[in-house]
Amino acid sequence: MGDMGQGLQQAFSAITWVALVEAALVVAAAVLLIFVIQKLVPGLAGKLGGKARLYLLASVPLARLLIIVVTIIVVVPILVEPSFENMVAIFGALGLALGFAFKDYANSLIAGIVTLYEMPYRPGDWIEVDGKYGEVRSIGTRAAEIVTPDDTVIIIPHGRLWNTLIANGNDGSDNLMCVAEFHLAPNHDVRRVMALLRDVGFASPYTKTMKPVVVVVANKTWGMTYRLKAYPLEPRDQFRFISDLTARGSEVLAADGVQFVSVPVAASV
Amino acid sequence: MKEENTTEHSPSLPGGLISVDQWKQPEMSVQRTLKDAIRHLTAQLRAGMSSDEEPFQSLDDLPSLTDKQIQHIAPHPDFTALAGALLDSLAELRESETLRREVAVVAAPPFSGVREALVRLPGLGAVSADAESWHLVAPPDNLLMNRQDACRWWDEQDLTGPWVIPELADFWLRHTSGFALISELFQRMVSGRVGPGLVGCSSWCWQFWESYLPDAHLGPLTPAPLDAERLGQWLEYLAASRDGRAITARMTDDGLYVLPVENPPDAEKRKHSGFLRDLATASRGIPGVALAIWQRSLRARPEDEMEEDPDSQTRGPGGRSCWVVPLDQLSLPSMPQSSDRSIGFILHALLLHDGLDEERIALVTGVGEPELQLALSRLARADVVYEGEASGRWHVTPLGYPTVRRHLQSWGYPVDGF
Repeated sequence: MGDMGQGLQQAFSAITWVALVEAALVVAAAVLLIFVIQKLVPGLAGKLGGKARLYLLASVPLARLLIIVVTIIVVVPILVEPSFENMVAIFGALGLALGFAFKDYANSLIAGIVTLYEMPYRPGDWIEVDGKYGEVRSIGTRAAEIVTPDDTVIIIPHGRLWNTLIANGNDGSDNLMCVAEFHLAPNHDVRRVMALLRDVGFASPYTKTMKPVVVVVANKTWGMTYRLKAYPLEPRDQFRFISDLTARGSEVLAADGVQFVSVPVAASV
Repeated sequence: MKEENTTEHSPSLPGGLISVDQWKQPEMSVQRTLKDAIRHLTAQLRAGMSSDEEPFQSLDDLPSLTDKQIQHIAPHPDFTALAGALLDSLAELRESETLRREVAVVAAPPFSGVREALVRLPGLGAVSADAESWHLVAPPDNLLMNRQDACRWWDEQDLTGPWVIPELADFWLRHTSGFALISELFQRMVSGRVGPGLVGCSSWCWQFWESYLPDAHLGPLTPAPLDAERLGQWLEYLAASRDGRAITARMTDDGLYVLPVENPPDAEKRKHSGFLRDLATASRGIPGVALAIWQRSLRARPEDEMEEDPDSQTRGPGGRSCWVVPLDQLSLPSMPQSSDRSIGFILHALLLHDGLDEERIALVTGVGEPELQLALSRLARADVVYEGEASGRWHVTPLGYPTVRRHLQSWGYPVDGF
């Protein structure tokens, strides 16, 4: 401990005001660059559709990591002589500080780096973490921001990555399967209803018809549950898409005389 | 299937009919690919920053050709000749046993001229029948029907002899009650319950129905795409179709030759421009789109423009000359930008159904009346769509088609394979 203290003292003894200012300018430039990228690129991505939007959004955290690494490589030699002893002293002290004082913070920082490498979620992905569902808006150094369908921003520390199940709806692509459910009273022609609901899937202008449109059915105690599965044109259309499928499906089924089941109010409370 | 027909093809159908799997987009230069990508990207980013409703305008100062001159230099093709060429190509494919089905399906991109040709088959319209006479199957007025009604309707049609459907897209609507007619027809075709026939189908309509009925393998054919060489020959053929006079076309910027494709035997070796390759790429090898861009790129010399008579454009005895503006200097229609889905819905519906009237657009897209009117007028101002005077149906314009297809693709819509 004493050796490390002496090493640190030696490492920083040669720092001059000029070097400090120079380092501060480099850091400021890096921060400014990161700020501009974080503001500009998502804005541009918002004007594009399809894959181009996802690629642009995904490039933001990578660009930021690159800038941070380059900044460290540039700033350290400005402040201290990059000898082996100095590096051991600085990183040793840094490790201790992070280990004790900022354990959780460091945990999230490291998970953030792993996130960029393993990519369990990227900007533009629709994910569910701990029951919260939304689109990943940005991936920060420590945490990711998701926006829920109700326009609420939720901050998810990257540290959750280690011990939480993360469900990713589109996993970096623009294909996100949606499911519209129909709970129907029994005693109807099941095959006809399946065919009708498949037609509903193909009739919706939101449907990406080159992807499968599938109807599955399950027999429940109260009747039959149909699940119409299809892909919207873009993941951000998912709620309008499900609404459209539900509305069209309800119309078709009503016209065909198929009854929906409804749970009595007392039972649903 | 064979790789490609090696026999001589009619000039009105260069390359003949090929299997859909053999179709490939005309080759594109790296420079053109980059230019197109940058142009498309900037067009998308420009959304809301500039006036996007300005119609097409040319960026050069040279005088355009008059309509009369265009009718002589780049007239619309003779669709009766195209109909004959289609039949010849089908007969060739049957002879070589490449086509063994009773009913041939020709799935062609929009503006290929297949619909126009198929309504001119022998026995239909004014053309007299030498050999077999074709029976036209026209769609019912009401396309919304259930399976039983569709069965009854097809039972009433005479599908025993040579029958033709010029455009299958006229037989359906993207609506839960609008699928029955084509579903029933495909079932009858697959099970062999119909006589010999010919079905024309828009490639967009075909793409949808391939997804809807993935097991209906009907082996569609398609006209071969126009690459630079075929396109040059076809444009020469069109120019000579009126009065048999050849055309010489040169670039306005560097004077390089565009047409004729081949050097005349008695002339010195000419340097040719890459315009035809760019045009083939820009039009995706589709004749109608290529012709529309070609007509817009033609220019007269000022001294020629003074002359009203197209015969004055002679270049020596028996020849005719004109100038061609590079594609870069030609401002093609650009897509009005909107964050709303309605513009995409409308354009996609128009391509799926090969044109629709307003009532049916509203039915298949769910876009309401005032919003629909606004969107259509915006698209019409941008030269992207037009309303047919007689039919009242809205269509995508041939000049606007390349940008419409590209935008729909980038907005996530399923697009045709051509």
